[in-house]
Amino acid sequence: MDHLGFLHEMEKATGEKISACYQCYKCTTGCPVVADMDIYPHRIIRHIILGNKDRVLGSRTIWTCLQCTTCSVRCPNDIDVARIFSALRKMSVREGRAAERDTWRFDEIFLESVQRHGRLNELGAILRYKIDKKDLFSDTKMGMGMVKKGRIGLMPHNIRDRKGMEEIFRKAAETGKRGSGEKE
Amino acid sequence: MVTLTYYPGCSLKTSSRFYEESFKAIFASLGIAYRELDDWSCCGASAAPTIDELLGHALAGRNLALAEREGDHFFAPCSACYNRSLITNARIREDKKLREKINAMLYPLQCTGSVEVKNIIEVLHDHAGIEMIAQRIAHDLSSIRVVPYYGCVLTRIMKMDAFDDKEDPTSMDSLIWSAGAELISWPYKMECCGASKTLTSKDMTFELSSRIMDMALSLGADAIVTPCPLCQLNLDLLPYLGREERNVPVLFLTELLELGLFGTLKGTGSHIIPVDEIVKKVKGK
Repeated sequence: MDHLGFLHEMEKATGEKISACYQCYKCTTGCPVVADMDIYPHRIIRHIILGNKDRVLGSRTIWTCLQCTTCSVRCPNDIDVARIFSALRKMSVREGRAAERDTWRFDEIFLESVQRHGRLNELGAILRYKIDKKDLFSDTKMGMGMVKKGRIGLMPHNIRDRKGMEEIFRKAAETGKRGSGEKE
Repeated sequence: MVTLTYYPGCSLKTSSRFYEESFKAIFASLGIAYRELDDWSCCGASAAPTIDELLGHALAGRNLALAEREGDHFFAPCSACYNRSLITNARIREDKKLREKINAMLYPLQCTGSVEVKNIIEVLHDHAGIEMIAQRIAHDLSSIRVVPYYGCVLTRIMKMDAFDDKEDPTSMDSLIWSAGAELISWPYKMECCGASKTLTSKDMTFELSSRIMDMALSLGADAIVTPCPLCQLNLDLLPYLGREERNVPVLFLTELLELGLFGTLKGTGSHIIPVDEIVKKVKGK
């Protein structure tokens, strides 16, 4: 009940009619990672309706989500639950409430690689993430195995139009939507 | 003849290079023409929309804009690239305000949403067809039992029609059947493999991919067949993720057709779970 306008804010940000939820549990029963969630998906939706912004933004659930969209496809009220979780992630990061940082950090590193090269430099991005985590050696066996099988891109590949790519990122940053819950 | 504009995406040039080799081999045999999109860039994958939806549309839109100059057919073999490109293409076509925003970011490139975005299953159906595939199959795959694994992002597309049923797709089933392999019906066509959590939460991918592998084993499958590079990689990584039980090989859809057309696999050395047993099961006709 801490934020009276939360439901409205979320519906506006996502374009989803969250208030249509009648708690049928379909999203929760179909979720493949529900066991690792602290708040069940249908409860997250309910918390939004009840204005419990702090509970929702601080929950692990929104980070456990794999964005497989099983919940979204099955919702009888056509609510894109996964998209709501994605918007909640952005808000929780912006407000410094994120319960888990790794997923977001890796996505940032991924995008920095794309910004620099135009394409993902697989090895570069993985190493940066590992250095960031101060955990360089936990998966060496898997890494070496993958290298041996040619399953990791070792060298960066630069596109020719890197100026155009830089422009896309610059203009995206200008709109200020990064980390906001809002859709485009 | 139609020439498809081929958008590889990062995977088909790095972790799944053998997927590219495989589809090129079967396309040559089936007479499907394609040209790689010049100076293509990353589609944004799941990372861009997670952090900034507009950026996600712009990254996918850049490739669509380049492709519009080449023709009407945009072919993306990677399921994630396909999903991102399909959604952005439709949004740009239908939403004038968004189109203007994206085009301001892409300038001097311009995207109108005019291409048709297709995945590997659609291309095989539309540009070859099950009848032609069945006629060209030169090797007997009838002793290979496979389960079709579609993965999440290929058909679960929100707010628009998908090319197949969103929860019980069958389009790949008919391609497997046309290749002559034995198709096993199973409930895990769409189960999630762990997606991009492999790096940030290894245990989750291990658990989810193991469940899929266990189900395939319990049904007596010889192989799991998928069109998705990330699904293929996650399942193929199971021995490294700590799984000690038996695994069956995870083939790309194009590799199964490769076996039927040529009796051999180009990408044998790239598979982490060995494929030798499967190749041995192929018989001459």
